[in-house]
Amino acid sequence: MSSTPPSDLDPASATPLTEGAQRELTRLCIQTGLLLMQHGAESALIENLSRRLGETLGVDRVEMGVFANSLVLTTLSERHCITTVRRSEDRGINMHVVIEVQRALLAVEAGTLDADGYRARLEAIRPFHYPRPLTSLAIGLSCASFARLAHADWTGCGVVLVASSVAMFLRLHVARLHFSPVVNFFFTAFVATSLAGLSEPLKLGGTPKLALAACVLLLVPGFPLINGVSDMVKGYMSTGLARLAYATILSAASCAGIILAMTLWNLWGLP
Amino acid sequence: MIALGLLENVFFAAIPAVGFGMAFNVPARILGWCALGGALGRGLRFLLVEAGLPVPWATLLAAAAVSWLGVWAAQRLHAHPKVFTVAAVIPMVPGVPMYTTLIALSQIQREGITNERLATALTSGLNASFIVAALAVGLAVPGLFVFRKRPVV
Repeated sequence: MSSTPPSDLDPASATPLTEGAQRELTRLCIQTGLLLMQHGAESALIENLSRRLGETLGVDRVEMGVFANSLVLTTLSERHCITTVRRSEDRGINMHVVIEVQRALLAVEAGTLDADGYRARLEAIRPFHYPRPLTSLAIGLSCASFARLAHADWTGCGVVLVASSVAMFLRLHVARLHFSPVVNFFFTAFVATSLAGLSEPLKLGGTPKLALAACVLLLVPGFPLINGVSDMVKGYMSTGLARLAYATILSAASCAGIILAMTLWNLWGLP
Repeated sequence: MIALGLLENVFFAAIPAVGFGMAFNVPARILGWCALGGALGRGLRFLLVEAGLPVPWATLLAAAAVSWLGVWAAQRLHAHPKVFTVAAVIPMVPGVPMYTTLIALSQIQREGITNERLATALTSGLNASFIVAALAVGLAVPGLFVFRKRPVV
């Protein structure tokens, strides 16, 4: 990494970028895209923010390719191109990171942050996580609300609250052990269905089938599903298809977990 | 009766919107917008369905309304609307129809096909897919019609 004086990246200076400065700027642009991609931003946002950063900090154009799990980015300045590729590994959905990256970019556009300041701010982002017990309880309450919206009785909602909270806690724990999400969703669906299935032999509430349906709703892959359609509508077909395929695989894993629990404990029946 | 139903929908939609917002690590200061969006979406959909609109179309309009709220809030929060609109439309995800489809299909696989099982699987499955598609397209409405060239934030 060549060390360049910050004045080279000053958007106000009319002098063309040195090669070192352009190289550094290219790295910053793809780092921006990579952070967004790893934490669940849609493709249009990834491309838009990377391009705006490059153009604000002085390259003529930024071209970007967004793929299912990698990014390609080229900056063009004074007829010099620099291209770089990054492989992206999924870090889990984290909207806090997406917001921080966007606000750093807005500060650059407002002129209050230069390239060095922007890099420092990106490096300082520490993904925020809610405490696991709190998230688990909130998700338990959410699934209980779904049960209520589907006209389950209050006892049934209580069953869902317990089953979904425990399942979500396990899911977050298993995710921290770096198991594949597919394994995780299968396991979580099995545990949630088994726990909610206890309401039938224990005679808890009059709507045991609705409890079974609501307790696994924490596994609906909302982000891949919505980002997938959203990417496809905006013309990013390949990432859109990839996201939808991922959502399908996760749902299939959940279905397998549900069906296994139903078969083992004989819980069959339509809600 | 409608007022009671509306109140129930609004209240029980705000909870999962916040819950899923937390699962997506939406910062605490923005969780209120998740709740508001969730309540708006589900409440509006309830009213539209009561007025006689089919559920998928009502979902489309409700999701578009949530997305517009998202645009309005995004410009004040300096954050992309998707940051909280995705959590806000989660309460409209057709969980029970999806589940019913799964159970009906696996009963067909295990115990053989009957007209009743096939009908349940098809109607629930179609219902669920139309609603999910309506949700996603509804969320994209501001981007498709107004923010075509310029970014929201």
